[in-house]
Amino acid sequence: MGSGSYIATRILMTIPTIVLLLTFIFFFVRVLPGDPVLLHFEKQARPEVIESLRHQLGFDRPILDQYLDYMLGVIRGDLGKSMEDFSPVSEQVLSAFPATLELSIFSMIIAVIVGVLLGVVASRSYNSSADHFLRFFGVAVYATPIFFIGMLLQLLFGIGLHLFPTGGRMYPGMEPCGLSFGGTTIRTGLYTIDSILEGNPVKFILALEYLFLPSVTLGLYLSGIFLRLTRSNMLDTLFAEFTIAAKARGLKAKTVMYSYALRNALLPIFTMMGLEFAALLGGAVLTETTFSWPGLGRYLVQRIAFRDYTAIQGAVVYFALVVSLTSLVVDVAYSYLDPRIRV
Amino acid sequence: MRQGITSRSDKRWFPVSAISRFVALRNKGVAGLAIFVGTIIVLSISLMTVSAPWISPRDPSAINVGPVLASPSIDFPLGTDHLGRDMLSRVISGGSIMLQVALLSVPICLFVGVPIGLLAAYIGGTPEKVTSLVMDCVYAFPGLILAIAIAAVLGPGVFNMTLAIVVVYIPSYYRVVRSQVLSIKELTYVDAARAIGASGPSIVFRYILPSVLPSVIAVSSVNFADAILTAAGLTFIGLGLPVSTPDWGWDLTNGRQLLPSGAWWVMAFPGIMIVLLALGFTLVGEGLNELLNPKLEVQVS
Amino acid sequence: MQTTRASKGISNTTKIIIALVVVILILGSYFGYQMLTHPIDTIVMGTTDSVQSSLDPSDAYDFFGWEIIQATGCGLVDIRPGSQAGPNDFVPALATSWSSSPDGLTWTFTLRRGVKFSDGTGFTSYAVKYSIQRGIEIANPDGPFLGIGYGDIINSIETPDDYTVVFHLNFPFAPFLSLMACPASYVVNPNYAPMQYFRINYTEGNARASSPMDLGPYILTKWTRVAGKDVEMRLDANPDHWNATGGYPKTKHIIIKFYSDATALRMAIDAGEIDVAFRQITATDVKDLQKKTNVKVWQGVGAFIQYLVFQEKIKPFDDPRVRQAIAAAVNRTAITSTVFLGLAQPLYSMVPNGMAGHQDAFKQLGDANYDFVRRTLRDVGYDENHKLVVDLWYESSGHYASSPDIAAVLKSSLEASGVITVNLHGADWPTYRSNMRAESMAVYILGWYPDYVDPDNYVYPFLHSSGGSWLHDNYASQAMDQLVEESRSETDAVMRNQLYAQIQTKLAADAPLVPLFQSSAWAVTRPVVEGVVLDITQNWRHWLLYKTGG
Repeated sequence: MGSGSYIATRILMTIPTIVLLLTFIFFFVRVLPGDPVLLHFEKQARPEVIESLRHQLGFDRPILDQYLDYMLGVIRGDLGKSMEDFSPVSEQVLSAFPATLELSIFSMIIAVIVGVLLGVVASRSYNSSADHFLRFFGVAVYATPIFFIGMLLQLLFGIGLHLFPTGGRMYPGMEPCGLSFGGTTIRTGLYTIDSILEGNPVKFILALEYLFLPSVTLGLYLSGIFLRLTRSNMLDTLFAEFTIAAKARGLKAKTVMYSYALRNALLPIFTMMGLEFAALLGGAVLTETTFSWPGLGRYLVQRIAFRDYTAIQGAVVYFALVVSLTSLVVDVAYSYLDPRIRV
Repeated sequence: MRQGITSRSDKRWFPVSAISRFVALRNKGVAGLAIFVGTIIVLSISLMTVSAPWISPRDPSAINVGPVLASPSIDFPLGTDHLGRDMLSRVISGGSIMLQVALLSVPICLFVGVPIGLLAAYIGGTPEKVTSLVMDCVYAFPGLILAIAIAAVLGPGVFNMTLAIVVVYIPSYYRVVRSQVLSIKELTYVDAARAIGASGPSIVFRYILPSVLPSVIAVSSVNFADAILTAAGLTFIGLGLPVSTPDWGWDLTNGRQLLPSGAWWVMAFPGIMIVLLALGFTLVGEGLNELLNPKLEVQVS
Repeated sequence: MQTTRASKGISNTTKIIIALVVVILILGSYFGYQMLTHPIDTIVMGTTDSVQSSLDPSDAYDFFGWEIIQATGCGLVDIRPGSQAGPNDFVPALATSWSSSPDGLTWTFTLRRGVKFSDGTGFTSYAVKYSIQRGIEIANPDGPFLGIGYGDIINSIETPDDYTVVFHLNFPFAPFLSLMACPASYVVNPNYAPMQYFRINYTEGNARASSPMDLGPYILTKWTRVAGKDVEMRLDANPDHWNATGGYPKTKHIIIKFYSDATALRMAIDAGEIDVAFRQITATDVKDLQKKTNVKVWQGVGAFIQYLVFQEKIKPFDDPRVRQAIAAAVNRTAITSTVFLGLAQPLYSMVPNGMAGHQDAFKQLGDANYDFVRRTLRDVGYDENHKLVVDLWYESSGHYASSPDIAAVLKSSLEASGVITVNLHGADWPTYRSNMRAESMAVYILGWYPDYVDPDNYVYPFLHSSGGSWLHDNYASQAMDQLVEESRSETDAVMRNQLYAQIQTKLAADAPLVPLFQSSAWAVTRPVVEGVVLDITQNWRHWLLYKTGG
């Protein structure tokens, strides 16, 4: 089976996955007790007004019709209307997502760098106390609640040392506007990129500053996984026969380590990045709440407090889509990079 | 040559021999030490929580038993919180919700996830493909977000939190069991069993299940740890329980507000307890993993 | 099997490069961050509030919505900052003089001349009539016009000429001037508030279209929302403001930053990232910040109260003796000292401390008066073996500060009597409101900010059968209704106080509600900020703020 048909199969497999997730989310939100329309709008004493609101939100139609509407809507990019002020949920979700994306990217970078570095160190000093300590560190960091780590960093670096801001995404008034020319604007929503597009180094540095503590928090949390993975892959390769053969041929130990062992270890790390992306998004919710980071995670939490079921549904759907697409991309890329995979 | 402990036939009473084998674990390398330490931690904390009504010096919910926000002292070894409640009593009694959630969710996951995995893998064909698809969906999805959504819709409460965790975790058991079964299914001894006329169900239970158990146990301990952390996360978001029950997660969340004023003890001690408990389970899980599946260490993560 | 120890470390050049990069990043961020001083003509305010619904005065009924309406709009009269809001404390705003007829049914206002809207239109009596009429006609069910009852009070509005407005009332409403000073009565720009729109909503990227307000000390120049949550607002000085010549507003630019919780806000002001932090900083943080020199803590009179409501449809709370017993079992000092660390005062009447006509009506029932509680409950059939079960509800999603703590303290005080058992129930705000309407909560905690500064606003919405219908507590007393109606229409101050005395006595006897405490107001600023006035009006006057340095 060539790589072309693998990719095609993989893409086709994504569709039922997404459909299943969306169906689950749709029916789950409707399982809740009570009438959501009444919950929000009961003060409108007149029944016709309640009925018209119900109609506006689409809750008055038979459930299967609603389901169809919902699924078609997702394809069109329409995630319904918020129950708080009827504004389109898709707009809100799309405006919140870039913040989460930026946080996730930087956190993943930190997690991988820290994890791989420490994993290499651990594998080099196999079975020594340093090795044991690092493995313990990897396990401990995952067992610590993220917001605990976040709070400690905020206190230490934000209030104690005054090095980094304690919350928010940008200094008020300094949001990058991206690159504008001839009436169009290119804005990605990622402040680091937008400030580069705008050519404003101060904004770039500021964006990094505000990103630092949240990314380190979330990154540390995930670094343990990469630490473990790197270490075990390095050990596997180091003890594998072709490595011994290489050393027997007289290659320096350092070359052995970095050209053979590390390169072989890196491929699974790449896959792991894709797999861990889901965990990253989950951790982002807690991190965003701790650091008042205006992303999709914080949006979800706020909508929950308001019982805005359409918005909750929309946010969860968006997460599902992002995760599915990411894992699809990772799998396809992996199939290119690893010739052994042609399942 | 010294004989390993397991090879000696042990005629002592079962619990005694089990305990001595357990204690001997700490000599069995890092993995054994991890299991040993982890189990001690988990047992001590559970014991402390269960005996809380007797050993707790004061009523953990009673307000103004001491000065508001007093730092640790002889009278109040772990300090008091912003309502004058004794932190030592709250730490002793606070693990109850988390342990309940963990102890409820894992057996449910086991009794649902393992049989489904066994059956699906053994039967194969379309049912297996469909089940795997469903399970993969849920597995791929960010666990915490799904748990938050479920808890948000169902409302606060121990049972709802448990349900949220169960839904998120069953796929892990399913996957592990299924992959194990698939690899064992065609092995020789299964064929041999069939050859001597063993029936389907008995093959599954007498031959396959025991081989699957080690991995399942490893997943369970990670499940425990995750249940605790998820419960803490849900409480942090505000989807925890009503205020009256002492709970580490609640104190941790509350303590966050008090931290900038310097009252570190309200957040630190419950936080440390959560980390300890989760760490205990994780150590057991990691140790078991390494001991039982030295090659499969990477996959079950 | 032999393992060769790899040679020490990564190559030296790589190490140096990594070290350099890290150092540059850290230094760059440190200096970049510190270099951002705050210019003296800009004040950055942080808050955990946000606009609940809109900035349309016919719709906005929340504290923060009114705060912005006051900054960007103007009314006929204003209340002198720092005053007690007494009858002599009204100052001219868009009206330069006013008078009422002897029977109190007609109010005439003479308007200020030469005032322009920001789009150049002249301000005339038409705009005043338009604004009030619009609010009454739209009759937004969640808005202040229905909530306060403008339509019941005002019969008609006349505009005999461009600079005179005459209000004809249905009855002599004593606090009419206070009503005209409240933000719901502020004048909108008719060009930006068409009558056919139910509500002027937030419009992405267009601050002018997001609010119909005009004529105020500031103009709203920027309002950003991300994912339905306010992120930033910007107010710039309005050159057309009638008092611009007087030097107002004192600071040209105000930026408002929104924080998701009190801890984040506290850390921001502590780190000097913002100039002003107003609502909400917890009491513990206030006490801690008072000891620090990098911030200044301002404290002032509060008008926010919290109280218990009894659902009289649920037995045994239909029995006034049971209600009185619970009122006597409450320990207000425990709440004010434990939860608020002294930043709140016990409250013994629905009329707040410091307001004309206030009486400590509930004082006779006492606090933690357990003898009385046990005696009274024994008469009704409750004792240590058969305790009175109270299902106490509180709001748990942060709508009110410290709700769970207050509930915990209440539970403790009530149970200390030995004859009461309390079950606590928390609910998020939408569910809480829904439960209120469904009348399913036996005893619940609510809070109240004044709409206008007058005892009427603390009495009519609670004790009058139609004014208090939003409470859904099923308390209705003809005698009380009559007293309340009389007190609203009585123009003689002495007679009014006497009426309020009677009302408060009856309040303590019937005890449909139990006032708990009155909270002070506080704000935390950087030391260079001046001009903060925290008075009984609860108005946050952006236009008085100024900085003495960067």
